[in-house]
Amino acid sequence: MNEYTGWLLDLYPHPERGLVLWLIGDDGRRRCLRQDFPVTFYAAGPAQRLRDLWIFLQNQPLPIELSRTERRDLMTGATVVLAATLDSPSALPGLFQTLAYHFPDLAFYDADLHVALRHAAVYSTFPFARCHVAADEGDVIHEIKVLDSRWDVDAEAVPLRILTVEPDTDPLHTEPGRILLRTKQGCSALDLKDGGSTLAFLGYLLNRLDPDLILTSHGDTWLLPLLLKLSEQHDRPLPWNRDPDGEIGYRKERSYFAYNQVIYRGGQIHLAGRLHIDIHNTVMYHDYGMDGVLEMARVTSLPIQTAARVSPGTGISAMQIVTALENEILVPLRKEQAERPKTTSELFHEDMGGTVYDPIIGLHDDVGEIDFFSMYPSIMVRFNISPETVGSEKRTVEAVAGLESVVKREELGLIPQTLAPLLEKRFKLKSTLLTLSRLDCRYKNYKARTAAHKWLLVTCFGYLGYKNARFGRIEAHEAVTAFGREVLLRAKESAEELGFRVLHLYVDGMWVQKPGCKTAWDFQPLLDDIKTRTGLPIALEGVYKWVAFLASRSNKKIAVPNRYFGVFQNGEIKTRGIETRRHDTPAFIRETQIEILEMLAKAPDREGLNECLPGIRAVIRDRQNALRLGRVPPEKLIVRQTISRNLEEYRAPVPAFSALQELERAGKSLRPGQTIRLIYTLGSPRARAWDAETDFDPRTVNIPRYCRLLDRAVDAVLEPITGTPGAWLAQAVQLNFDHVPSLVVL
Amino acid sequence: MGNVTPTITDILHAEEANLARFRRALRREDQVVLDDLFTAAYRHRAAAAYAGHLLPFETFLLAMQIEDHREVMHLREEIRALHEQLKQVKAGRP
Repeated sequence: MNEYTGWLLDLYPHPERGLVLWLIGDDGRRRCLRQDFPVTFYAAGPAQRLRDLWIFLQNQPLPIELSRTERRDLMTGATVVLAATLDSPSALPGLFQTLAYHFPDLAFYDADLHVALRHAAVYSTFPFARCHVAADEGDVIHEIKVLDSRWDVDAEAVPLRILTVEPDTDPLHTEPGRILLRTKQGCSALDLKDGGSTLAFLGYLLNRLDPDLILTSHGDTWLLPLLLKLSEQHDRPLPWNRDPDGEIGYRKERSYFAYNQVIYRGGQIHLAGRLHIDIHNTVMYHDYGMDGVLEMARVTSLPIQTAARVSPGTGISAMQIVTALENEILVPLRKEQAERPKTTSELFHEDMGGTVYDPIIGLHDDVGEIDFFSMYPSIMVRFNISPETVGSEKRTVEAVAGLESVVKREELGLIPQTLAPLLEKRFKLKSTLLTLSRLDCRYKNYKARTAAHKWLLVTCFGYLGYKNARFGRIEAHEAVTAFGREVLLRAKESAEELGFRVLHLYVDGMWVQKPGCKTAWDFQPLLDDIKTRTGLPIALEGVYKWVAFLASRSNKKIAVPNRYFGVFQNGEIKTRGIETRRHDTPAFIRETQIEILEMLAKAPDREGLNECLPGIRAVIRDRQNALRLGRVPPEKLIVRQTISRNLEEYRAPVPAFSALQELERAGKSLRPGQTIRLIYTLGSPRARAWDAETDFDPRTVNIPRYCRLLDRAVDAVLEPITGTPGAWLAQAVQLNFDHVPSLVVL
Repeated sequence: MGNVTPTITDILHAEEANLARFRRALRREDQVVLDDLFTAAYRHRAAAAYAGHLLPFETFLLAMQIEDHREVMHLREEIRALHEQLKQVKAGRP
């Protein structure tokens, strides 16, 4: 028997070899091992139908072990089920498809689960787990022991071999001519016109380097499909898979509607034995990067290639499945609990969201921002909220009023069980982050990983009420918001009793003001009091030098809850809802607004803001001049918009429609959920698609429109300081013509 | 995801729309007053939502009253302060 220690790179089912596991050994060797891993699924329903199913399964050409047993359903308790065990996990998807067709009236459990999740539940494995493996001469695993935990804060670094492949230009805009390759040893560029040589070098590199991870740019949607096509044309197959018997896995592109918007997911290419990650097709890559992707895979137990491409919702669902399997709870195909019938009065009282105040409009100083630490997940854990624990409405109302658990803490529900270790890990990371300098090598990594945790925790709350969630229940979803409202109102009462003025409340955050409170210590008594009253972890996000809450554009007397900006005492700028945060803001306007904010951030306090205004006016003048004189590169004027429908479904000739039409004519079609890049132009059409043509004429740019956008962005950050909208404008324009006489000549 | 009932902002918008004919028939100067009253109601949406009243318009009316009364209290305080100043000025005169 051979024994190996190393990191688990990937695992997947194989029709002949059972389960295939790839191990990066401590000795540097990459080993392909296999394991016998039988999988069981269950069916429940009328006895006669279960007998029919038994006979049907006995007649299948596969070896299937059948038995009658009792398992626990999360909602209904012990249930008599038919258990069917297959030797090969790869046979299950096909068989289940047949069963769903022939027995639609039966309830199937554990039937569509990812094999990695099943393995995680049995052996506590996860991507990059440190493993000790005992395997025979045929590389069949007899024993596997995981040496670390997915909840460890600092995991040992994995010695990954990475090959980066990217085109020299954005393929959505112009046809790339070369591909750029980068490894630890160096980089090179390959000409795509010379397909044969490119393939030869790439093949050599794949064999020589034998990368564990191929990190691409547009690899799923453009690069790998192109290289695979080239391979076919030149009859020169490349060793993309490390597993010689493995096949390249393809997933189709799709658009779907979620969170009130159309979301597009490009096609996917998964490799066997090594990993392929396309940074442009990775969910939230812009937010948490590779560190976040690996953390997402680690805590969810999903294979890295899958974890990179699924939404956080699928991630949290995977975590719930692992908890259910570990506790021998049946995993249904989808949620089975319908909402309890309710009266109108009950709906009015229960069907509510979080508390959101209208902030007090204007500029404020001596303000502290206090945030509850992951409020909704913390509520679920502390008050034991889970689909199976939330019972009668009366009990929930009592529990909310007294801020106590809905059922005894000893019977911890499935959701709190899933979330508790994740919350604890996030808390440890966040606590360490507070003590780290930004220059510390761990800072970026910790920050990315906490961001990955954040998205999982945020979606966990939504999944309690989501129609496709496996473990959801509206009443649990409502109980969470009810606790949230109670907790926030208790925090508000605490602040007011201690003499603070509550400027704003926003679901899990609070902005409070008290003259003279300028340091964290000034807010400590309030934090302590809130902690005592609510029992939930709370932290001071920061103390502002000044913060401005903005009014609605349509009604200056009404505030917008999530539109504000401010500067903390440490100089850090925080913005929400203004142009810098919007995806459709052109880079030129975003940069101008950021520059103004940075100049304002240098003021020592609120009183010093007015002294910044002359310098800011000069900057605005420069920007206006650059725009009017056509000195702004067109790339900086690109507006990004998400396509919400197909071309034929547009009813009005909006700019996105014109640009989409132009793209279609250029043979580049986009699907709903994808982003279109456009530039506002003069005359008709009102916008041109940036990716439709390579020779964009800068003279066609609609300068007045961009000037208006600039004015609006400047107004948003200066109005709270000057007190009047456009107050800076007159002076800026005046200065413009006084000081740049050459402009008049032009 | 969860919610099936309209949000408090939707309800307030609907109430405002219901009164569109009433608003139209008002004099211009009164229209401004009505708009101001609705602005007052918008400011207390969080409290109105939390109340979960079956007839939310009653809560909106109360929100308008609150803003009105706050203004009255503020003006009272100003008048009191002015009276105080006036007294001092009078007392200071020979």
